[in-house]
Amino acid sequence: MASMQPKIKSKVRCTDGEIGEVAHVIADPLSLEVSHIVVRTNGTERQVPVSSIGAVRDDLVELLCNSSQVAGFPELKREDFLTSKEVEIPHLENRIHVEPGEVLVPFPELEKSCARRSFFTGFIYVIGVLIGLPLVWPVLRFVMKPMYAPYDNRWLKIGNVSKIKAEDVGVQFIFKKSFKDSVLEREEDKNHWVVKATPETLQKIYKNGDLSFYDEKGDVVWVNKQTVPYVAFAGKCPHLGCGYKWRSHKTRGQVFLCPCHLSIYDAAGTVLDGPAPRPLDVLPIKISATGDIEVIDVEYKAGKKEQVRLA
Amino acid sequence: MNALLQKVYDFVDERIDLKTLEAKMMREPIKGGSRWAYVFGSCLLFIFIMQAVTGVLLMFYYIPSADHAYASTQFIIHEVDYGWFILSYHFWGSSAMVVMVFAHMSQVFLWGAYKTPREMTWLVGLGLFGIVMAFGFTGYLLPWDQRAYWATTVGVEIMDKTPVVGDFLARFLKGGPTPGQMTLSRFFVIHVMILPAALMGLAGLHLFLFRSAGPAGPFRGTSDELKAKTDFFFPRQVWKDIVAMAAVFLAICSLALIEPVQLLEQATPDPGDYHPEPEWYFLFLFQLLRWKVFSGEFGQFLGAIAIPGAFMLLLVALPFIDRSPERNIFKRPIALLSWAVVTIGILVLTVSAILNREFLD
Repeated sequence: MASMQPKIKSKVRCTDGEIGEVAHVIADPLSLEVSHIVVRTNGTERQVPVSSIGAVRDDLVELLCNSSQVAGFPELKREDFLTSKEVEIPHLENRIHVEPGEVLVPFPELEKSCARRSFFTGFIYVIGVLIGLPLVWPVLRFVMKPMYAPYDNRWLKIGNVSKIKAEDVGVQFIFKKSFKDSVLEREEDKNHWVVKATPETLQKIYKNGDLSFYDEKGDVVWVNKQTVPYVAFAGKCPHLGCGYKWRSHKTRGQVFLCPCHLSIYDAAGTVLDGPAPRPLDVLPIKISATGDIEVIDVEYKAGKKEQVRLA
Repeated sequence: MNALLQKVYDFVDERIDLKTLEAKMMREPIKGGSRWAYVFGSCLLFIFIMQAVTGVLLMFYYIPSADHAYASTQFIIHEVDYGWFILSYHFWGSSAMVVMVFAHMSQVFLWGAYKTPREMTWLVGLGLFGIVMAFGFTGYLLPWDQRAYWATTVGVEIMDKTPVVGDFLARFLKGGPTPGQMTLSRFFVIHVMILPAALMGLAGLHLFLFRSAGPAGPFRGTSDELKAKTDFFFPRQVWKDIVAMAAVFLAICSLALIEPVQLLEQATPDPGDYHPEPEWYFLFLFQLLRWKVFSGEFGQFLGAIAIPGAFMLLLVALPFIDRSPERNIFKRPIALLSWAVVTIGILVLTVSAILNREFLD
């Protein structure tokens, strides 16, 4: 019966005359064959198995049984069926050529129990959460491992004061910094600026007196005495972290200028113009008897009014 | 040969219903007919595929380590046959992507195609826009030259200013308090794994939503006029798409040939004579942050986070605020004006950033 394609609304004739029309076609979801036609007769819809069909012609289905036998076939319980649109059965609509949506397939018995459905839904969510939840903390710790490294309070030699020839002039000190970067032993060029300050400039820099530097616990690491005329400024612009330079400005003379967002600072690190939210950052500095300059490479977060130490 | 091909086709068709798939893919009626204005989406897909191909090729030689990223990129440029071309294509492809995203979004905006029932397509599209920008941002750290280092330093400092999550986000991206190997590793993973997967997923969803809601069609014309001009996606639109793709391909190749990628000095926390600057498509934002109004901690938050954030939120809310069914751009003066203001604003800021370069030297 593979070729049987009864049409919807075809007349249905029994051995004893016409009794109605085809209302639906029921397909078997495994064999993908028509298993029943649903005959609408006298206001009822009855499932007639294909074994009772004699022939399928244009607009006419001839049955092998009589009308009283048809009345003995079970009535269609619509809720026991789904249309082919409501389920995913591959190839079904290619095999059975009736109006799409009119092909009915049985609603599986196991799918009718509602209590179980909600139990399974809940169960699926719970198991899903149980798989995901234990992963959250380890994964978070995994990606966070390097994020909060302790401060580096080593003293680094960056050069000698003999390089500084004039007062209130920014002098760049480029130095090599070796450090462990995950498993790599790396060396980077870094740069800080040192100013030999006049008493007035020194006054501006240390207007709150001696400057203390702290570690994570809040313990004092070093105090810059306001009597030491050499002041080191961190090479990182406090605006957004670019590298600034000492250069001449058309109207302001010699200044520190950041080429990124055009922040301008004087020799005391005070903001003269541009978007920077705070003055240049002063570093802990030590000058040896021979004039060697040592600093702690303190790094602060850029873009903040207050200094927030990062490294 | 044809008979064999037919057999293969039939074999596949019998199993997975190729004919229906083909009909669904190719026979989408285009209301009012195919147009050159509709090529941008297809071009983006093409550019992405080429970025994926050239990107995979670059990974054959690239080493994502702070010690070797720069040298391996130089190796690609100078030693590997056609390495300079593959890298330059990838570089200019990213610019083409940004230009095309702008064209695509403008077309959708001006045609009023984001309106009901296509809101979800618009929203997913905005997600894709974010991904494209993230691609650009994570991509140019990878050569580990001066531009890479400084653009990343500044970009991450900007993200640090996001309220509540900023500090975590910045440390997460840097993989530490300061930029280094962990930053490179993270940007690499984001650039070659996370973003491509996200883009493929969202682009698939974008296309699915586009096909589900249907194309918007022209904003003028009676339904009879539209019907008379309607054709299928294949062949006329596909033909226009492929011509546009060829033009994009030629443009990117030409740029790669005329202006091949040149690396700056290797990345270091000392900028030397280099004036740090982001890629050209971030220049407008860069220039915006030079303004006096965006100075100080609050001004910076305003310029770097609040205004771009508010603009993105406005785009997200757009189809829900603008509920008028009118799609004709000439009857939507506010929309037209806003588009012009944003476009001119971006142009002016970009040009002034370029002019500012001279002032710095």
